[in-house]
Amino acid sequence: MNLSRLRWTVSSVAFAVLLFGAYLGLYFGDFLPTFSCRYADTRSGTCFMMTIQRTIQMLLGTIGGFARKDMMIFLKQLLYFSLLVMLIGRAWCGWICPLGFFQDVLYWIGRKLRIGYVRFSKTIRNRLVWIKWGFMFVALLIPLWVAFPVFFPHVALNLRMPFCQLCPGKYILPLLVGNPDRIAVNYESTTHLVMSLLGLSFSVLVVLGAVIKNRFWCRFCPLGLILSWFRKISFFKLMKDDEKCTRCEICYNICPMDIHEVFESRGRKDVTFPECHLCLKCIQNCPETDALKAVYLGMPIYRSSSKRFFKNSGTSTAGDFRALKKIGIGHEH
Amino acid sequence: MNQTNIADKQKNRFLKSIARRTTIELEKLRQIPESPPALNYFYDAMESVFVRNEPERFLNPDSTKKKMIGVYCMMVPEELIDAAGAVSVRLCAGCFESSQIGEDRIPKDVCPLVKSAMGFTIQKGLAAVDLCDVVIIPTTCDAKRKLGEELSAFKNVWMIEVPHIKDAEFSRRIWIDQLYGLKSKIEKYAGNGRAKTKTSSRYLGAAIKKTAVAQWELRQLLSIRQSKSPVIWGRQAVVVENAYAYTRTEDWAENLAQLNIQLAEKVKNNNAVCSENCPRIFIAGSPVIFPNTKIQSLVEEMGGILVADESCAGDRYLYDPIGNPENSLAGQMTGIASRYLAPCICPAFTPNDDRLFMIKRMVADFAADGVLYHVLKGCVIYDFELHRVEKILNRAKIPVLRIETDYNPEDVEQLRTRIEAFIEMLKSQKKKKRSDSLCQPIS
Ligand code: SF4
Ligand code: SF4
Ligand code: SF4
Repeated sequence: MNLSRLRWTVSSVAFAVLLFGAYLGLYFGDFLPTFSCRYADTRSGTCFMMTIQRTIQMLLGTIGGFARKDMMIFLKQLLYFSLLVMLIGRAWCGWICPLGFFQDVLYWIGRKLRIGYVRFSKTIRNRLVWIKWGFMFVALLIPLWVAFPVFFPHVALNLRMPFCQLCPGKYILPLLVGNPDRIAVNYESTTHLVMSLLGLSFSVLVVLGAVIKNRFWCRFCPLGLILSWFRKISFFKLMKDDEKCTRCEICYNICPMDIHEVFESRGRKDVTFPECHLCLKCIQNCPETDALKAVYLGMPIYRSSSKRFFKNSGTSTAGDFRALKKIGIGHEH
Repeated sequence: MNQTNIADKQKNRFLKSIARRTTIELEKLRQIPESPPALNYFYDAMESVFVRNEPERFLNPDSTKKKMIGVYCMMVPEELIDAAGAVSVRLCAGCFESSQIGEDRIPKDVCPLVKSAMGFTIQKGLAAVDLCDVVIIPTTCDAKRKLGEELSAFKNVWMIEVPHIKDAEFSRRIWIDQLYGLKSKIEKYAGNGRAKTKTSSRYLGAAIKKTAVAQWELRQLLSIRQSKSPVIWGRQAVVVENAYAYTRTEDWAENLAQLNIQLAEKVKNNNAVCSENCPRIFIAGSPVIFPNTKIQSLVEEMGGILVADESCAGDRYLYDPIGNPENSLAGQMTGIASRYLAPCICPAFTPNDDRLFMIKRMVADFAADGVLYHVLKGCVIYDFELHRVEKILNRAKIPVLRIETDYNPEDVEQLRTRIEAFIEMLKSQKKKKRSDSLCQPIS
């Protein structure tokens, strides 16, 4: 099985299990390092972003009171979360996340319809980096304000789970599992109205964006940001051998996250950059044998190969070539 | 009347002397014993260009003639030309006679490659050059840049600006913009000015694929040449690679596939062209272009074997493939833009550390014992980088010999002495490393 097929298989199975697992009675816990949205009723585990926001609010006394028990629960959840992230790093994003999978499907449809595609230049990418910090800020600081509503208390009290109210996952994923009620605008209060309108427009943007831009949402995802902090201690890494790399830029052009650092890099072995999803597409498409490697606990598990590159382009035999000639390529006009 | 007569005579004399020189070179090659028969295709292609003066037999054999477009350097995406239904001919020249004629118009101190290209354009006659009404010239080195200006008195010249700082974002932008411009220019020209001849992604995809087949075969040849006992002489391989300029990609690839099969056979039967103790030479520096075979012939006559080079008309010409990120025209153009800029290590770029990495890699992969640093007189940029190359090679304990020359056969004997001494030195070094049998080239 080639790598793309493997990735599609894994991510579609993960999609099914995470979003419909409840039918099988599965429940993994509230610490999943991936967008398994708590508003999708049939999910088999819950996104850690929710747990973070809830815990902060609990600690600060907005939901129930502070209890040592809650603290212990959170620490346990944090521990499980960290272990899961260490296990495969951001491969959670590249291989498992249901929202990631959904975007992949949208992008695939865009390709099939031959809709153009967008690439973000270095400059744009460097600017966009800040947006996820914005979301992070919302997720961590607004709960504080909710806890101490010194100004605009009526607004603050309606801002529970602030990031969730903005998260496109909250609108898209429940819809995918058949809970359409989430996509309605929430008229309960002005704050809810504004937040749900914002969230809905993000969601529409994410859906449209994903058709023309690979993994459009992922560059803004605050959960992804948290995951990227673990890349140094994660077991799963992307490695490059400078001596083999010709700096041909192919890995840059193929990367769904437009990571230019991999081809540019000189003098470092570990090229798992913060935005890298470990989708391994770059390895699959690198034309230089052993220039790129996926390494798990120090053991290479997948490497680039010149042969694979040319086979992928369907050109490794002279036979293919004769077939090409038969089409009479370049002879028309 | 008289005037044209003189011109005709001059032209005939010119063509004859090129034919004579080429015939001698090709005869020498053809006489190498036990050569794989598949090599003949490449020799024949050269013969049809320089001796018979019928380049279209190999380049444009179909009955409906396609337009021919001349290109210089290796940064012109020939896939664009192919996809538009035209034929590209790489015109970088290696001919002594024409380099002398070139001197009439451009400075003597310019490198012979550019003088030769100039000469072929001033002195009409060689059909491969004359058939191209349009030539595309990238602004690589100073000489190529000014060559474009001079050629424009004779031909339709399309310059494309090569950004010299590869890594910068703006370079990527300038470059891809120009390729789009070039693409529509080619389409218009190839389609005889009709507006509606847009290159579709299907044609471009096919052209990319076609080149990829050729590239795959080239990589096969390279890996055969990496083997411990050489089965093909370097001077033969150089002609094979040079011939890409004057043949159709598909035919070239098919014949190279044949050659590779025959060479693989030789590897299997342990049928080496020279002993494992022959010093393995890597040629770095300025490109070696047929019919200038001076350096590689000397190396191999003196008992070495040329295992690889970094020439932009040789091992490096076709090496890097085009990645095709998305199945769309935009994706293909992005892939093409990257391929013709990013991995290219022409010393026209700065900074050019990539070249050092590449030389280091090739010298190791091909197990070279020594590096011959070839500087064409006047090719300043290659000479500039000598120091850096020497430094990294010294670290790897690989001796370097700098040879400065041009296409003039005058200095052959003097070069012979130097190259001989170099090879003798490498031999004794090699012997020291493993004191077994002496090197004995078969030819
Ligand atoms: S970055 Fe993308 S794949 Fe990763 S958790 Fe966020 S939405 Fe999912
Ligand atoms: S695709 Fe491979 S060879 Fe090309 S730049 Fe990336 S790592 Fe280097
Ligand atoms: S760098 Fe490679 S593994 Fe990481 S996201 Fe890009 S293509 Fe995927």
